[in-house]
Amino acid sequence: MEKVKILNNIKYNVCGLAVLLGLASTAVLAHDPVFGIGPHVLFKDGFEVALGVESEKAADEKEQALQLEVTYGITGDWAIGVDLPYDYKDDGTNSSNGMGDLSVFSKYRFWRKDSLGLQESAAVLVKVITDTASTSKTPFLGKGTTDTILGLTYGYEGRRWYRWAGARYRFNGKNNAGVDRGDKILLDFVGGIRPTPTGYLEPDTVWLLELNGEYGKKASFNGSNLANTGGTEWFISPGIFWTKRNFAIKAGVQIPVSSNLNGSQNESDYRAKLIFEWHL
Amino acid sequence: MKKIILAIAMSILMIQTVQAAGTQYEMRVDGLACPFCAYGIEKKLKAIEGTSNISVDLNKGLVKVEMAEGKSLTEDRMKKLFSDSGFTYRSMKKKAL
Repeated sequence: MEKVKILNNIKYNVCGLAVLLGLASTAVLAHDPVFGIGPHVLFKDGFEVALGVESEKAADEKEQALQLEVTYGITGDWAIGVDLPYDYKDDGTNSSNGMGDLSVFSKYRFWRKDSLGLQESAAVLVKVITDTASTSKTPFLGKGTTDTILGLTYGYEGRRWYRWAGARYRFNGKNNAGVDRGDKILLDFVGGIRPTPTGYLEPDTVWLLELNGEYGKKASFNGSNLANTGGTEWFISPGIFWTKRNFAIKAGVQIPVSSNLNGSQNESDYRAKLIFEWHL
Repeated sequence: MKKIILAIAMSILMIQTVQAAGTQYEMRVDGLACPFCAYGIEKKLKAIEGTSNISVDLNKGLVKVEMAEGKSLTEDRMKKLFSDSGFTYRSMKKKAL
């Protein structure tokens, strides 16, 4: 019975909805894409508080998360933060809810080229998703492992046009039950436009369109590959970024446009995100 | 001679009048594309004693601030302030109010 429970949770946490962990891997930060990563950090000694709601559905499986993220600017080019989710999961048969895995992250902007009304920059990101969530509920709230994400991103931010590119590699750990969730590669290409450049204290709107790709290696259990795991998905993701002075709202939806998942897995139906941010 | 003395006295009086009103600083800053990102500039300038009437012109890359009488801003301090805010300071002009 215990083995069945473990294997069922493997299915849940490795297949389909494990991609929500990909959503959770994004550090929110300012004028960055909704689902991808960007090179923005935070002003020195500033704080960013972000409250986000995420939702994902793949056939009968659903997952929602409420996320609190706090970021601190160590310098004008280096920020650190912590991310704490509260998850609700439903695998079509059982549901569970509770605190998710705590994450800590750091982003360092190592290159910046400023000119009149324009900033180009590049940054590296590291995020550690710890193993703090419960694995006693069904479906598991946690992964049972500590995972690490390394990212590299470039951004071009002008008064009217935006573009970003980002790549992340997620090193997934192996849990005590012998499940080794396959590593994941995420790619993001984003364009954005500010239709009407406004003044500093006026409301500001930027429209975004993202192309997000995810490739997951197959998972393994006690050294044997699991056939119905891993594969590739691509999403088109329209989004919006609205700000006024030190307050921002980001929102977007990921729409799957291409799916090549191994074996028999539920393909993503959609993912959505809504985030409120304050700079303090 | 009387005229020279009078002219000097008037000049001194004018300078004193100008100093009593404060100074406006206008800084050229690069990288200002996003209003949300510029909030750090406002916050850091407000933390300096004597500042008021802070304005940011994103299109022209200009940050203006007024300093009270007896207070001043230096190039080095502004270079650091804008770097800490995530931008690049280029130059400064000042004019008496």
